[in-house]
Amino acid sequence: MIHEILRWAGYGTIIYFIFMQVYMIGLGLRSAAVMRRVHHLDRFGRVSEMLSSQTSPPVSIVIPAYNEAAGIVDSVRSMSIVGYPRFEIVVVNDGSTDGTLETLIEAFHLERVRIPYRPDIATAPVRGIYRGRGSFDITVIDKENGGRADALNAGINAARYPYALCTDADVILDANCLIGAMRRVVEDRQRTIGVGGNIRPLNGSKVQLGHLVEARVPKKLVARMQVLEYLRTFLASRPAWSQMGALPLVSGAFGVWKRTAVIAVGGFTTGHMGEDLDLTMRLHRFHIDNEIPYRIVYEPSAVIWTEVPDTLRVLRRQRIRWHRGLMTAVKDFMPMTFNPRYGKVGMITWAAMFLFEYLAPVIEFLGWISILVALVLGVLNTTSLVILLALAFGVGLINSLLALLLDESYGYFNSLKDTLRLIVMALIENLGMRQITVVWRIRAIFGGKGTRVWGNMERKGVANLDGAVQRT
Amino acid sequence: MNETTVGLVILGVVMLVAFAMLIGLVMLKAINRRRALRRRERHSRYVALISRRIAAKDTPEPIDSSTVVDDSFLDAVIDIRNVITGRQIDTLAGIIDGVGLARRQEQRLRSRFPLGRRLRAAVSLAEIGDESTAPVLITHLADREPEIRIQCARGLGRIQYEPAIEAILDRFGLEQPWVRARFADTLVRFGGKATWPLVAFVRANLRHDHNEGVIEAIRVLGVIGDREVGPSLAGILRVATDPEVRIAAIESLGIVGGPLAIRPLKYTFRSTDWRLRAKSATSLGHIGDPSINAVLARGLQDSNWWVRRNTASALAALPGGDELLLHAIGSDDPFARDAAAEALADCGVLAAARERDDAGQATDNDRLLLDYVGAGLQVLS
Repeated sequence: MIHEILRWAGYGTIIYFIFMQVYMIGLGLRSAAVMRRVHHLDRFGRVSEMLSSQTSPPVSIVIPAYNEAAGIVDSVRSMSIVGYPRFEIVVVNDGSTDGTLETLIEAFHLERVRIPYRPDIATAPVRGIYRGRGSFDITVIDKENGGRADALNAGINAARYPYALCTDADVILDANCLIGAMRRVVEDRQRTIGVGGNIRPLNGSKVQLGHLVEARVPKKLVARMQVLEYLRTFLASRPAWSQMGALPLVSGAFGVWKRTAVIAVGGFTTGHMGEDLDLTMRLHRFHIDNEIPYRIVYEPSAVIWTEVPDTLRVLRRQRIRWHRGLMTAVKDFMPMTFNPRYGKVGMITWAAMFLFEYLAPVIEFLGWISILVALVLGVLNTTSLVILLALAFGVGLINSLLALLLDESYGYFNSLKDTLRLIVMALIENLGMRQITVVWRIRAIFGGKGTRVWGNMERKGVANLDGAVQRT
Repeated sequence: MNETTVGLVILGVVMLVAFAMLIGLVMLKAINRRRALRRRERHSRYVALISRRIAAKDTPEPIDSSTVVDDSFLDAVIDIRNVITGRQIDTLAGIIDGVGLARRQEQRLRSRFPLGRRLRAAVSLAEIGDESTAPVLITHLADREPEIRIQCARGLGRIQYEPAIEAILDRFGLEQPWVRARFADTLVRFGGKATWPLVAFVRANLRHDHNEGVIEAIRVLGVIGDREVGPSLAGILRVATDPEVRIAAIESLGIVGGPLAIRPLKYTFRSTDWRLRAKSATSLGHIGDPSINAVLARGLQDSNWWVRRNTASALAALPGGDELLLHAIGSDDPFARDAAAEALADCGVLAAARERDDAGQATDNDRLLLDYVGAGLQVLS
């Protein structure tokens, strides 16, 4: 009996594995076709003409800040010179206790103002509003602490322009990222309600005066592994999802949203561990349910740089939080899963998120358990196991290499040494790192101490990456 | 074949693909680096060569016609074209003619090459083309590739080829929004020459339901800013029924300005559609005639939030408007108070009041404003 169970568990795992890899490689190939076109347009299309265009729609850049006194001034200065003809910066001080507000007031000569603040989305109480009198348009909303989602909602309430770029205080925007994203808005202003950007790890890169000078591969393996992960996600899958018209996630670090659409669904959900995923999916559901034409797209040329965890301890917290966010979303949007009413979102991308993101750690974990059981019972077919593991390794490697090939069109990593480092990472990431993340995600599913709370990201901050090459 | 053999075959194929990709990646990286280096070297050489030719026209160093096939030469020509003026441009045009650079790009554009090469040719022609290349550019305004259409229009705008205005407008209503927005940029480059063709285009298409082309064309008229177009815009505002078209006309009337614009804008400021009222407030503010202050002040009590806000901003820009805003601060209407306070902060009145207060010279109005701003935020619904 147990032999039969093990045999069928083996077959099930193989079939699941085949489906997952076919899906991943299919996404990768489709993304490659999209990226090829994007590459041509980036190279010759002169999207930068939008810079001087008087018809470019204005944008509000919303930055939530909680205890960011050390880096907020540099971040805002860096964002204030992003290449775009018309934008305002809205910083939301989310009840900081480290003097973030005072730092901002002093640096940007802010004065307290009274503006007709309209709470289109309910938030924690707003204590005051400040405006700058400097060379760029800055508004600071001072409010009581309510979390990132709450701060973003307050920023969206105060934003004066029809599109809001929701980002973080600790990211570096590429000079052309806003043009790249807003190009997608101009393509179809009526229907475009969200544009996601291409997020890349900043660790190890050379940063000066809040700007990226040279992209480098981090020395620490934990951070380097994430470079590969981000490349796979943002270059080898999101372009395809976007082209299908079924992007399930616009990452929180860079998302341009149509204000009215976000307000219509009640804004970001406070306290949700995956508020970006939740908002994207609620917007899909709202527009499909109400038969409103819309599109949420991804723009690979809208590049922003963010610091990623460089220790296992911080990475573990982040991954547990992400997976818990995914679990909540899976529960909330279960009626959309495999539901033809929701088109490609329900049948392909959200279904794939459920199968290959939510369930993957469980199935992989069960796979490892059944191997152990088979080993103990002495019924393990070693040859088949070795073939299967080698196959998993090979296909995973193909996915990573495809992402690296796609990244070549950007040419951020100039040195051959950096590429070789990433190739080595692609070879070794399956030997331990991947299994550790599976265990973390299992922990997130079954709960336990410390898995239900936010943890500090422990960022070094853009300001502290300033100057010489910082390698982690 | 048993399961193991099948597995081994699949594994072999996967490993072979992975290995090929790995080798491919390393080779691609090495080749790309080498090519970029060589391209930079050639580019520098060409820049130096063309610069010498431009500086010493009478003692020309020969430029081999074979260089025409080298994209580094093309890049060098474009780079130099963007920094030279006057006679130097004629000299460069001679070089371009001599080696047949523009002709080659025309051929490339007409070819069945993949997108990248054709797009490069279109961009190049947009940069180096002259009147002789205009017919090719006009033909490709209908190219299957949107980005090529954009570049052709850009090139025609750069050389100010007037017959192209009609050709661009012929496609204006048909184009996708992104292309139309870039065509609009090109029409703006034509300036006053495009004004009357645009007016004719709007008139001819005005009766179509929600024509995006018409809306964009009206906006372009505003950006061009030819004052003579004011009566035409007022006429469009009178005839149009689509609110989006009317909003665009109100916006452009505000930019074009003139006394003739005031009457139609005062009329739309009383519209039942809040969007029209809000836009009219902004446009009346742009015109800058203080005789409308009293009319605008009524907008501070409007039922719509955006109308109040735009009215306050408009008043802040008008001579004597700050008095009305300060008056609103003392009113019973909380909506009017907050809208006025924001506008007074934006136009610097609040900062000036603070400075006077710090110097002990605050007026009653200053104190009224500072007390109001200093009080807790009132959340409006």
